[in-house]
Amino acid sequence: MERELIVAVRDLTCRYAGAPRDALLGVSLEVRSGEFHALLGPNGSGKTTLLRAALGLVAPVQGRVEVLARPAGDWSRRDLARVVGVVPQREESLFPQRVHEAVLLGRYPHLSLFGGVRAADRAAVERALVACDAVDLADRWLWTLSGGEYQRVRLARALAQEPKLLVLDEPTASLDLRHEMELFELVRALVDGQGLAALMITHHVNLAARFADQVLILAEGRAVARGAPADVLTRETVERVFSWPVAIEPFEGRPQMIPLRQRKDAP
Amino acid sequence: MRRSTQRTHLAALLALAVGACARGEHVPVRGGLAVTDDAGRRVTLAVSARRVVSLLPTFTEILFAIGAGDRVVGRTAWCDYPPEALTVPSVGDGMPPSVEAVAARHPDLVVLYRSGPNVAAAEQLERLGIRTVLFDLNLLEQLGPATRRLGVLTGQEKRADSLARVMDSLASQPPTPSTRSLVFIVWDNPPIVIGAGSYLDRLAALAGARNVFHDVSSPSAQVSIETIAARDPDFVAVLTDSAVPPRYATRPEWRVVRAVRTARFLFLPGQLFGRPGPRAAEAIRELRRRLEAAP
Amino acid sequence: MKYVLLAAALLATIAAALLLGPANVPLGEVLASPILWQLRLPRAVLAFLVGGALGASGVALQALVRNPLADPFLLGLSGGAGLGAVVAIALHLPGPWALPLAAFVGAVGAMALVYRLGLIGGAELDPRILLLGGVAVGAFAAAVTTAIVSLAEATELRNAFLWLWGGFSGASWTTVLVILVYAPVPLIVLAAAARPLDLLALGEEPAQYLGADVRRLKRVVYLSASLLTAAAVAVAGVIGFVGLIVPHVCRLLWGRLHRTLFPTAFLAGGILLTTADTLARTVVAPRELPVGIVTALVGVPLFAFLLRRWSVS
Repeated sequence: MERELIVAVRDLTCRYAGAPRDALLGVSLEVRSGEFHALLGPNGSGKTTLLRAALGLVAPVQGRVEVLARPAGDWSRRDLARVVGVVPQREESLFPQRVHEAVLLGRYPHLSLFGGVRAADRAAVERALVACDAVDLADRWLWTLSGGEYQRVRLARALAQEPKLLVLDEPTASLDLRHEMELFELVRALVDGQGLAALMITHHVNLAARFADQVLILAEGRAVARGAPADVLTRETVERVFSWPVAIEPFEGRPQMIPLRQRKDAP
Repeated sequence: MRRSTQRTHLAALLALAVGACARGEHVPVRGGLAVTDDAGRRVTLAVSARRVVSLLPTFTEILFAIGAGDRVVGRTAWCDYPPEALTVPSVGDGMPPSVEAVAARHPDLVVLYRSGPNVAAAEQLERLGIRTVLFDLNLLEQLGPATRRLGVLTGQEKRADSLARVMDSLASQPPTPSTRSLVFIVWDNPPIVIGAGSYLDRLAALAGARNVFHDVSSPSAQVSIETIAARDPDFVAVLTDSAVPPRYATRPEWRVVRAVRTARFLFLPGQLFGRPGPRAAEAIRELRRRLEAAP
Repeated sequence: MKYVLLAAALLATIAAALLLGPANVPLGEVLASPILWQLRLPRAVLAFLVGGALGASGVALQALVRNPLADPFLLGLSGGAGLGAVVAIALHLPGPWALPLAAFVGAVGAMALVYRLGLIGGAELDPRILLLGGVAVGAFAAAVTTAIVSLAEATELRNAFLWLWGGFSGASWTTVLVILVYAPVPLIVLAAAARPLDLLALGEEPAQYLGADVRRLKRVVYLSASLLTAAAVAVAGVIGFVGLIVPHVCRLLWGRLHRTLFPTAFLAGGILLTTADTLARTVVAPRELPVGIVTALVGVPLFAFLLRRWSVS
């Protein structure tokens, strides 16, 4: 069965207004349903720019970005939100709200202009909460949640959009080990169980190697390597991209990166 | 100095002193004139003022009325009475007074109305060596004393005195029993009316009209249309030089007021009614005439 | 339950506005009295509509600048309106509509200027630039106003400032009609923006990811809220604190969802301002306080109280 092509990025070059260099240069990527993609690279390598371009927020200087075979720039925001659910890196929390209200916000692209919230919407919220193991959090106030719980709720909100593709921008940045593992397991389960596509920007190279089907490494706006983790995460590549000596050890069939100490005379 | 010259000077001084004593009221200081103005300052002149700048239309009127008009060398742009005053050069609108323009007239006396900005201007003029005098002039009662003191300073005491007597008797008149009521409306949005403690209110009382807002102690106050309608004045008095009904007269919400609805307006020219002055008696007569003439 | 109380407050406010006043209108003659029909009723209706416009506008602007302490007049509109009014009086522009129209034009001019300033900064309708721009434009307008006042006749301008402080003494059915024709469009636009404004509270990028067309939303909300405020100033002068307090009170009672917030803020704003106007014309009878002063006197302690609650939560 041919997996559905959700996002296709072809030879994308992007540059921000007034910037001296391109933010992205000739990058290509294809994300299909049922695939878990990880986007790796040092800070400033263009990962978030690639995300924004994929969602039509940044116009390409060269190349094409298509979502479901249509140019990303042609999609209205509302229609795009029904296809792609994003868990952004940062968001503001101006007024206190409860978890079920927060998740309900994800139903916006499905609601009509003046129409009310229907049973189908509430069911979608319920399903999203179940999938994220957050049902018992439903009545809690957001500001009482732990970091891990809060991320699960934001993921549930993205799921409530009933998207085909989940995009997560450094979702485990401030989470502890357990919550980080739980989040990766959760995304993997959603990809496997519901056939969603997932694109995750992360700094956690090893977990990306363990959980992702495909890895794209960016450095200074260029794609350094793209493919399965075992093919991409070699010692030469990792050392070159991250500017640090590493050793690569296999674990459960996936390469795991171990950073080496710099000082030769370390005890 | 030769003895004969000394004796002449002494004789002159004595003559002045005797003459001053004959006038009675103000004791000359070393042969000069002195009054106390309303800012509590003691204002002294060696001789009566020859070049006077008047910074209020009422003072200009008084100066001409007491025969000192030929000594007025500067006036404000508002000073339009008597007609002869218009030939006097203007020193601006006086709000606040332009010290330079006043000084350029080389006055030996400047007459000002006592207000914050004017006190400051007076101080500046004094620093330039120009004598200034400040008078209050909001009420009828203040006309007489101001007139008298202007008379002293300009050497026209006799005429000033007789004018002041007229002013004083007018001020001490009891209010005429009123047969009509009125309201003074100076602004429409929001409605501003004149209350007691103001010159206009007093004029009305002396002309036999009751100001329906006489119970409001401040000179002006913001009220609602409904209050005016509730008090139902016979007339609406407007300070204006035209005879055209004010712009609010056609609006339905204002026509709830009976006097507006029946167009019973009293158009009072600003020149005569807008400020207290020597023609107060004439203003009262005119107001009374119009009240009686109205149906 | 809360809605019942709101409806009861509405009825009580209207009743007070119609029955209280310096003219003694016997209860039996009330319905036939011109005092009621020409004075009290249009005044109450106008105060209600203006209060509602300010309440709704306050909700919209607080969402737009993502700051719950924003007031519609923070964006320079009151300065612009004041300048317009003073210019109209200084130039002796004729006609009863000269003052409101000039104030409206001044307010809209200020709105455009603040918007333009925001564009210079590079970010269209960025909240911080909006607020800073609003303060700058307001200060500029105030400076020009002071210059005009110092050069022109004193007494009429004093009366202009009394008008600027807010009041419904000039209320007429014509004014009510103008507002009734004018206000629904921006109000409906704001109602349609209710859901995307909920999303905007998360930040502009997250709101876009959830499906909101943020650029269009900001423009539309800014324009509608400013037009509502400009119209309110044009007919009633600058009345502060309504746009600041009412959204907070409604948020405390009904939560933060804009679909509920807009209608309740409209009603609550109307109730507040009608009550303030009734107080303004009865408390120091026969004189009248400018309404803007009553709302400030009531609003400041209320605001302090709300501020404590907000910082505690």
